[in-house]
Amino acid sequence: MGYGLMFENSCEVGVFSKLTNAYCLVAIGGSESFYSTFEAELGDVIPVVKTAIGGTRIIGRLCAGNKNGLLLPHTTTDQELQHLRNSLPDQVVVQRIDERLSALGNCVACNDHVALTHTDLDKETEEMIADVLGVEVFRQTVAGNVLVGSYCAFSNRGGLVHPHTSIEDLDELSTLLQVPLVAGTINRGSEVIAAGLTVNDWTAFCGSDTTATELSVIESVFKLREAQPNAIVNEMRNSLIDSYV
Amino acid sequence: MPRRPTRNRQSLIARPLTFAPFARSLAHLASTYMPKHQMLGSKFTGSPSNNEGGAMVKKTLKEKNEQSESSEEEEFEGEVQADFAFFDPKADDFHGVKILLQSYLDNTEWDLSGFVDLILGQTTVGTVVKIEDDEDNGLFAVVSALNLGRYKDHKCIADLKEYLLKVCLEKSIQGDLRALLGEQAYNVGLLVSRRVVNLPPQLLPPLYDALFDEVSWAIEDEPTKELRNSFRFKSYLLVSKIYKHKNADKKSRLSSDSEEAIIYDKPEDEIFHKLCSWSFNFPFHAEQVVAHELKNYRPMGLVMAVEADKVPTFREQLRSLID
Repeated sequence: MGYGLMFENSCEVGVFSKLTNAYCLVAIGGSESFYSTFEAELGDVIPVVKTAIGGTRIIGRLCAGNKNGLLLPHTTTDQELQHLRNSLPDQVVVQRIDERLSALGNCVACNDHVALTHTDLDKETEEMIADVLGVEVFRQTVAGNVLVGSYCAFSNRGGLVHPHTSIEDLDELSTLLQVPLVAGTINRGSEVIAAGLTVNDWTAFCGSDTTATELSVIESVFKLREAQPNAIVNEMRNSLIDSYV
Repeated sequence: MPRRPTRNRQSLIARPLTFAPFARSLAHLASTYMPKHQMLGSKFTGSPSNNEGGAMVKKTLKEKNEQSESSEEEEFEGEVQADFAFFDPKADDFHGVKILLQSYLDNTEWDLSGFVDLILGQTTVGTVVKIEDDEDNGLFAVVSALNLGRYKDHKCIADLKEYLLKVCLEKSIQGDLRALLGEQAYNVGLLVSRRVVNLPPQLLPPLYDALFDEVSWAIEDEPTKELRNSFRFKSYLLVSKIYKHKNADKKSRLSSDSEEAIIYDKPEDEIFHKLCSWSFNFPFHAEQVVAHELKNYRPMGLVMAVEADKVPTFREQLRSLID
């Protein structure tokens, strides 16, 4: 697990990176230590790709993805799209979509099976999400906020949501997502969970302001202590080979 | 995990903690305000402030407003009253102050969180500016004066000293800087002053008055002799930002003389610069959003040392500048 990360003095790791079970995107710029922390944790297992989206560094908030695919906003340039298609594994479908709410990372939160989306997303976008990412889509709010992609972060094993989420909402979301959820904070009390944290099934990265309490909550809800990356990725590879044959 | 009862949120507008209050409040800063601190009792109405950064900021705000839900509860009518109030720094202000100090030392990685904690820990000298009864706790300005000697063992101060010594390329000043940061550190106050771009300038004289008054009160009121002496600053060190014209070093005249050689990010820095004992510039590398009017300018850092006895002159000149 990577903690104590800073991107140019900002602890908002989830803004400058996007982590899934099949790949990891990292923003260009910042110090080499930001990129190398990801490389060190993930390098042997999944590709770590440096990129920009629409010329910006806030890639984590602009794109939405999981092991099946990656959705990019209409502001993505052709070169960036090509670069991503070249750098990511073949089974990951990279798709640029035309959605008015272009900060897809803020509007969509997903794991490999389920996605929560902003209530005002276009119908076509919802279908694209279901199609490209291979997930079941639910329009939801989190603690009364429509930016579900900002206020919660979840993997296939657990999730962390906005601290003011009520118990009823927590139960409802947990049933939809089929994973245990906890309401908590990141980066010393920040409520914008997905901005400060990026997580997949075996590891997580968070900013240097994160307190020890917050870290232990993250480790426990995402079940990171027992996680074994190679087992998870091999399992994925096996199931892919099965379906290809 | 301790659970708090749900807050009944009427609106469906997403409000990321740090972003929306900025945007909303900047939109509201079109004109009216009332500085509680001085109890002026008069209300000002004026047209939207016209500084360089202003045009860009308002444009992005408009777009943001258009994209938000139709159930927007606040109508942007042009002039909204905003009551600014001055508060002592407290632990809750961590995120707001940290954002304001984000590019304090350019894009170097240093112990910024520790630095923010220092500012928030010093409640006797230091002020933050917030809106009265703002539920989102948005922070608009912070000022403080930190004794470099008192805090010399903190990592953030060590990082700061290292950075300043590294970027000071003018040999003549290096000696002075080293002295201020070294043997004379106990007499030096690091004057930290950061704020949002569009803060009404009328707030500046009371803000600096508050700071320097608190320093003189601390000299009398602090519980221990050591603390009292720690506020007897002989000089202040300031780290600020300017925009230097790209052709400023060339001897040839600029085609349009109306273009100034240096544009100060904060107007009071010009006064400090005139009153300072020495100063130096250093290049700024952090990514900037460059306004059209600033395209011929390079952002640079400015470090100045101002003698403490120049402070009354500064206060006077600031007042006449703003009025």
